Amino acid sequence: MVLADDAVFLREVVAELLRGHGCDVVAQVADPAGLHGAIAALRPDIAVVDIRMPPTHHLEGLEAAVAIRRDHPDVGVLLLSQYLESHYLPALFGAGAGSIGYLLKERVAGTAVFLDAVRRVAAGGCALDPDVAALLVGGRHRRGPLDTLTDREREVLALMAEGRSNRSISDQLVLTPRTVESHVRSIFTRLGLQPQPDDHRRVLAVITYLQATGTTATRRS
Amino acid sequence: MPRPLSFRALLTPTLVVYLAVGLGVLLGVAGLVFKVRDGSNPAAGMVLGATGGFLFLAAGAVAHTRRPANRVGLLMVLVGAGFFAEDLQVSRTPAISTAGLLLVRASSGFAAHLLLAFPSGRLTSRVQRLLVAAAYATAFGLPSAAALFYDTRQLPDSVPNLLLVADNIQLAQAANRIEETIGAAIAVGVLVLLVRRWATASRPLRWVLAPVFVTGLVGAAATVAGGVVGSTGHPLYSAFLWVYWVAFCLLPLAFLAGVLRVRLGRTAVGDLLGRLHEPLSAADLQGLLARSLGDPSLRIGYWRPESGTFIDGDGQRLRLPEDDSQRAVWPVERDGRRVAALFHDPALREDPHHLDAVAAAAGLALDNQRLAAEVNAQLTEVRASRVRIVAAADAERRRLERDLHDGAQQRLVVARLLLRLLQERLDGTVDEQTTALLARSADGLDRAMEELRALARGIHPAILTEAGLVPALRALAEQAPLDVRLTAAAVPRLAPAVEATGYFVAAEALTNTLKYAHADQVRIDVEHADGRLRVEVTDNGIGGADITAGTAGTAGTAGTGLLGLRDRLAALDGTLTVHSPAGHGTVVRAFLPTDDPR
Repeated sequence: MVLADDAVFLREVVAELLRGHGCDVVAQVADPAGLHGAIAALRPDIAVVDIRMPPTHHLEGLEAAVAIRRDHPDVGVLLLSQYLESHYLPALFGAGAGSIGYLLKERVAGTAVFLDAVRRVAAGGCALDPDVAALLVGGRHRRGPLDTLTDREREVLALMAEGRSNRSISDQLVLTPRTVESHVRSIFTRLGLQPQPDDHRRVLAVITYLQATGTTATRRS
Repeated sequence: MPRPLSFRALLTPTLVVYLAVGLGVLLGVAGLVFKVRDGSNPAAGMVLGATGGFLFLAAGAVAHTRRPANRVGLLMVLVGAGFFAEDLQVSRTPAISTAGLLLVRASSGFAAHLLLAFPSGRLTSRVQRLLVAAAYATAFGLPSAAALFYDTRQLPDSVPNLLLVADNIQLAQAANRIEETIGAAIAVGVLVLLVRRWATASRPLRWVLAPVFVTGLVGAAATVAGGVVGSTGHPLYSAFLWVYWVAFCLLPLAFLAGVLRVRLGRTAVGDLLGRLHEPLSAADLQGLLARSLGDPSLRIGYWRPESGTFIDGDGQRLRLPEDDSQRAVWPVERDGRRVAALFHDPALREDPHHLDAVAAAAGLALDNQRLAAEVNAQLTEVRASRVRIVAAADAERRRLERDLHDGAQQRLVVARLLLRLLQERLDGTVDEQTTALLARSADGLDRAMEELRALARGIHPAILTEAGLVPALRALAEQAPLDVRLTAAAVPRLAPAVEATGYFVAAEALTNTLKYAHADQVRIDVEHADGRLRVEVTDNGIGGADITAGTAGTAGTAGTGLLGLRDRLAALDGTLTVHSPAGHGTVVRAFLPTDDPR
């Protein structure tokens, strides 16, 4: 894997953590140019990229992520950000919800979530930060089809938005896969969505749906 | 003790003019008598020529009376006198006839001087002075030289030339030819200067020059046409001659009209004085002075001593139209203090008295307007400074957020990570209490990170700079712990200060709603239309909020945050209103001009 972050001290510790968990960090870079170079030369499975990088420290990481997904479809990108903004999801997931992740930067310290996301993205899956997923699904809508979901269905929906498979969801919620499947079917019916054949398209459909109603999204207080 | 009167003191310009008029009348009457006695002159030409000459004398006298300081009057009188003097040679008296020989071109020198000095009476360039000197030399010097060799006795009815030195017709003719050649060259020179003057003249000056130029052109054209058709026998010749004589008679009136036209400006000073009693705006005053001076391009610059610059009535630094080199400046002072300056068409310099009169009449009004302009200028500066303060505050917030992100937040993540590594390493090797302590440390760090993130976001959300107002407001709505609905039509990227202000209004209103309003629903409406941004936050709470109530914390208080925001909005020419009837919710509404979308 390749690490891209201009905060050297943080990058070093993250690399140490990842190596400790059996990841092979082949390069550490500080800016988009270095990142593109390392990816072209080393063809890693995944790049973990900070959204703020030189020169302007605004959205260089996001732009780099989109470029990598376009130019190197076999390289996954996990984007880390200090703030999570649902606004950037369309740009990030525009090319499809495979091999892409968007995580709060602090998650690197919460090893389980971070490593899980790294593995999922490296394996071609999707990883959306639980906070973003929760924001999207929301808690106390007064209007709209989301209100018709049960609490459990909403939990399943949030996990779907995170990019998890049925199996992962069943592990997370301690449910049988069959129960999860029935929840998923029910959610799709109530939201008026077409059932999707694979996880990638499913997460995309869910995020697109939630984004469209996201203007009025609220959060559990 | 009375000063003894010297001859020079007695010889005032007015006396000189009257003496010249007297001499001119004398010469005119004498010339008429000589011509009538001579009998060889056509009556019409004689009468019209005399009329023109006398008109020059009379118009010159009038011009002098109306404009004593202007030499044009005297020059007109001298042209008339010179014109009559040229007729002296037809006298039968040898002394007078001989004097006439010396004066055959007397009027041409004065005429050149008059044409070039009109309408100010002054010669303003070296070329002009040289030409006039040459014209005088040619008019009086060369005929004198020719007279020395011109034997008049060969002519029928001859009168002896008292100056005759040697009868040498070749020398006399040579002197005549030289005189004609130089005369023609001078005439061409004068013509070139006059054409140039017309070409560069402004409208007011052209109005002064026009009568003389038109009359002169008609006369000149008639002379040329007469020359072309040739001898007296041609049927059109007498018509051209008539045109020439009429033009000649009109010329002094044209000069007088030019002088009077400047004079007309004087009555404008009277009108100006009347109008100045009315309350005037700076634009009114400028228009009034422009009309009084007949110069639509006139600009008033008010002096600002602090900055050492001229400002306009709105307090803006004075911007003169391009073509600055064509401007003249007339300073206006009161009690030795510089008050203003009139930036005017240089043609107005032709009549400095008029400028002076207008400036003096408007002195008080200009001084008052200067104070108003000064206040406007200060206001402009204060406003600019307020905008700068807002921009500086925004920049400071952005910097602070960046510093927190690059520094404290990253360090906290690192500390948390290291703690995680420590936890993993110690896992299972330490007692329960240590494990619990480690977990509490980790939890504390997590909270610190979360709070720092919220703090940094509150200081300045990065998404505002990166994606604009609506995405930032959407994020605000998403993360609010109650139902917030955002409706926003297409809003383009706006100036950073405008975006930040719109955002902070919504954020502050939302904070107040959360703190005091007991509301469960909030609506944020954003609209950008007609160069104006509207941000409106409506809740369904208890109402009764008061933007001016200073004590934050009590129910129904909108808090000092909104008051500060109102100042920020005022700095950007915007408005902030809070409508909060008790029991009927609160509406916070901000309007911001957005004339500079980026």
